[in-house]
Formats: sequence, C-alpha cells, structure tokens
Amino acid sequence: MISAGIDIGSRTIKLAVVENGNVILTRIKANSYNPLEVCGEILEDVKYDAITEIKAFAIGVRKVCPECRTILDIGGQDTKAISLNDTGGIDKFEMNDKCAAGTGKFLEIMATALGFTLQEFIEAGLSAEKSTAINNMCTVFAESEVISMVARGHNRAAIARGIHETICRRSVAMLKKVDIIGKVAFVGGVAMNSCFSNILRQEIGPALFVPEDPQTVGALGCAYIKTTKES
Amino acid sequence: MSTKIEPLVNDGYAGEPAKRALQYIQSQREQGGAVVGVYCSYAPLELIRAMGGVPAVLCAFANKTVEAAEVVLPANLCPLIKSSYGFIITDTCPFFALSNAVIAETTCDGKKKMFELISTYRPMFVMDLPQLPDQKESQENWTVMTKKLRTFLEATFNRKITDESAEAEIKDTNMKNDMMNRIFDFAALKPSVISWNELYDLTFLAIPARGGDIFPLLEETIKKLEARVNEGVFFGKVDSPRVLITGCPVGGDATKVFRIIEEAGGVMVAVDNCTGMKLFMDRIEEDTDDPLAAIARRYLKIHCSCMTPNTRRLTELDKMISRFKPDVIVDVILHACHSYNVESYKIKEHAKKVHGLPYLKIETDYSQGDVEQIRTRVESLFDSI
Repeated sequence: MISAGIDIGSRTIKLAVVENGNVILTRIKANSYNPLEVCGEILEDVKYDAITEIKAFAIGVRKVCPECRTILDIGGQDTKAISLNDTGGIDKFEMNDKCAAGTGKFLEIMATALGFTLQEFIEAGLSAEKSTAINNMCTVFAESEVISMVARGHNRAAIARGIHETICRRSVAMLKKVDIIGKVAFVGGVAMNSCFSNILRQEIGPALFVPEDPQTVGALGCAYIKTTKES
Repeated sequence: MSTKIEPLVNDGYAGEPAKRALQYIQSQREQGGAVVGVYCSYAPLELIRAMGGVPAVLCAFANKTVEAAEVVLPANLCPLIKSSYGFIITDTCPFFALSNAVIAETTCDGKKKMFELISTYRPMFVMDLPQLPDQKESQENWTVMTKKLRTFLEATFNRKITDESAEAEIKDTNMKNDMMNRIFDFAALKPSVISWNELYDLTFLAIPARGGDIFPLLEETIKKLEARVNEGVFFGKVDSPRVLITGCPVGGDATKVFRIIEEAGGVMVAVDNCTGMKLFMDRIEEDTDDPLAAIARRYLKIHCSCMTPNTRRLTELDKMISRFKPDVIVDVILHACHSYNVESYKIKEHAKKVHGLPYLKIETDYSQGDVEQIRTRVESLFDSI
C-alpha cells in the first residue's frame, strides 16, 4: 500500500510518500501566497485528512528514531518542543507564540542584515573564533541591533555565531519546559543548519539526534499515520 | 447528539448575556434601584442589594476599545484593564452609563493605577484588598473595608444598609448559589447536558441579579435540564474530552478560547474563573452577630492569583476535579497578567502530579490573530489524552 503525507509550512511545503512502510519519495517546494496551488503542484488528485503538526512530528520522529523521547522542531515561523511517553504518545508540548523570534525566518533575516547568504551566515558562525551576543529577540529590533553592531565595526562572523548561540539557548529553555528525556530529535528546516546543530550538541550532548532529512519528518508523520489507520 | 436543542434560557437573548443583564439592571433602575458599577469578584454585592441597589458588572472584555486605551495606557498591559479603560474614555459601556458609583479593589497593580485614571468619572470607592488572606489582620482589615463601603454607599445614595437587610441578602445569595450549584451538577454529568454558552448566559445574569428575582428562571432551567437527562440530550459526543477552565476571567472576545475548544471536539464542564462558577461555589455564614463580617469572610476566600500563597486555588481545583471529572485542564492567561501567569506553573505541576491530567496554558488577549495557533495547541492537547 502507498500513502502520502504533506506538511504545509510557512516557508516550504513537504511531501513524503511511503510504500509498505518504506519511504519511496520526499519532495520539498517553496511555499507561496497560494499554498493550495503549491500543494496541487506537489501532489495532484489526492484526498487527505489533516492531523495536528504536533502529532505529525511525534509520529515522524519515532519512525526515524524509535528511541527518541524529546523533539525540537524549528521551522520557518515556529518552534516546537515536544516530549513523548515511552510508547511514543504526546506527553507535553510547548510552542512559540505570535512571534518569529528563534525561528528559521529570524535566522534568514539576520543573515541578510549581516550581508551574508544563509550558507555564508552558517559558515561564518562555524568558523568564528569569538561570539558577540545580541540582546533583542524581536526580529525587527534584532535586525536594527545587528545593523548597529556592523556599523560599529564588530566582526560579522562573531555576530553570526552570537545569533546562533542566543537562539540555541532559547530553544534549550523551551525543551526544558517539556523535560529533556532520552534521545532528543532535532528536526525542521533549521536542523539542516550545521552551525546551529553543532552548538545544540554542545548544550545537549550525545543525546542529540539529527535525522538525515530533518525537513520532511512532519510530512513523514502524516504519511505514516495513514498507513497505521488503514492497516 | 441531536443538532437542534432548545436554548436553556429561551428569552430571545440566548448567546447575548450582556443584553439580558442590561435589561435586568434597567428594569431594577426603573423601580428605583441605585446602580453601582463593579469590576471584580471581590466587590461585596450583598451590600449593594441591601440598600435596594443593583450591581452592574462593567465592560471589560472587548478588543474594540483597546486601541483607544493604548493612547494613554502602555500596550504591554493586560487586555482586561485596557478594554475597561477604553470603554470609559470612549463612553461606550452601557453598564457604566447606568451606574452612579463604582466599587474598585486593589487586586493587581495595573487595575489599581487604571482606577486612579477613571476616578473622576463617577464617585468611586477603592477597597484595600489584603493579599495574605489567611492572616488574622487581613480578615479584620477587610471587614473594616467592607464597613467603610457601607458608609460610602449610604452617603452616596442617601440610603441605609441595616444589619437586617444585609442578613436578608446573605440568605438570598445562599439560596441563589444553591440553585446555581444544582445547575452546575448537570455539567458534572457524563456526558454533560449543559453547554458552555448556556453556563455563560446563566452566570452572566446570576452574578448581578438578586436570587429572588431570578428564582423562577433558575427553577425552570433545572426542569429543562432534568428533561434533557430524561430525553438523553447531551452536548458533544459521549467520549468528548471534558475540559476544566481555570485562570483569568474569560468573557466577550476572549471566549474565542471556548469556541476553539468546542470546535476541536471538547466540552467545557467546569469554569473555575471569576466569569464562571467561582463566585457561586461558597456560601456566606448566616445568622451571625455581624453580617458584614460574615460577608467579608466569604469574599476574602476568593482564590484570585493576587493572593499569596494562593493555596485555596489548589484545594478548590481539587474539589472541582472530583466533582466535574475533567479529562484536561486549560489555564487561560491574559497577556501581562503576571500573577496568573506565574501561578500557572503550580497549576500545571498540580494537574500533572496530583491528578495525572494533561494541562495546557493559553496565553492570549482579545485580538483574534492567534486563533489558529490556539487551535493547534488545543487539538494537540486532545491528541495527548
């Protein structure tokens, strides 16, 4: 049997297709002003049910990491921390509020404010010898803070490192609210940011697990719940 | 569950409790009742009724007046305070228009300072609310405040509040609360035969109204609920998640939280908020030597987060959990309400560790911008049951 899951995020739309329990296809497309049209493009003529993103990640993570009990998902506009019970059910969860602080979008805007592409921003953060912390978490105020720092001649790489560290600490604080138990899966688009995952590993240690394709874990969860329902 | 159920209070105001309350207050006023505006559950309503007056709960729950308020007040303030103030300066609260005086209390800092700003609009009496309710002196001071309020009301309205009339109002309140509790018992049934809208309709009227005035309505309501039980009418599905609401007052635009819970398949069976069941849960001691002291004792027991340590909130929660048997607890926190927000940690731990219940804190204001975010959280909460 074949089933598919779609995760409609603020920045990208993700598709995962599963056949007899094996992932046979994943696809990622940039979202637009018309998410339904993009969904149509990514997958035609498919009827679907919707599940909450929390449940999707809970299921998806257990498929890629059966022993994981804690999840950090950082996407384009939200951050979620979820803890699971030993059978994979949702125990506690926390999400960011109406604010992009600490999300992928925040990092993109900071990269632009520093005059970097996203890739350059990540590499600068990785190579920085020092770190310069920022104080503002509001995206707009943080942008103006970064611009002022650059104007004062601060090292751009150190600022890039500082931004990653600040967001990382906030994410760990959110994880602590749901309790960090067992292995911690780091998923969502920001999990592809190697500077971020390096810093997170320093905070969390060897319990951190980053799947090969962290961006499609939510879509995978949607696809697997379908197979669970019908089998 | 049948799709069409006759509204419990079928008077043309179903779902519009403010209009019903306004109509009640107007009719009392026409009969010579002095109208006294109140903002908070700590205002001892029996004193107002004891001088032949009627309390009017003032407007505090609409987003539309927040913008006007923010011209003066900081944006980072609780929406309830901003909305209240906005209603006054835009002169759009009909309850305030009817009121000849206002009772205020020193519950939280924001309210205290806001009251200063509106003190010139009407004669106002600010009651100094002690915040260590279990201290002997607190009880004494609050009794003094309650007696000073009597002096204020008597002077402002040129009427007398005798111990006998206060005692009569104590008995009226107790009768009313007993009736309300009989209604709440129908929410405790599994499945519940009363909806949150209907509970909200009833509490909105029963807070200001004299028990004697609404006795026929409450009696009829109980009969209708008994009929629902006999006919097998109920709300939600047999296995709908039963939700206990706690936290800040929830009314008007903040009831978006209730709507979302209902749309996600939940049923609200208990509302432990000032706008819900809180005021009805206790009785005032009858036939004492000092009825005003008895009134003061009851009001000081209200488990608002402005009290410390607010242990009564946990013991009241225990009682509500065993009575209403919720599956989850939802703590509604209005933005910038620090005391409820900080206390939420205790509530969460208590819900999880003592009762093994899933807990969700929803921090929100009166805008509708976060409806989808709240929906995700509520749906996920129900997933976790």
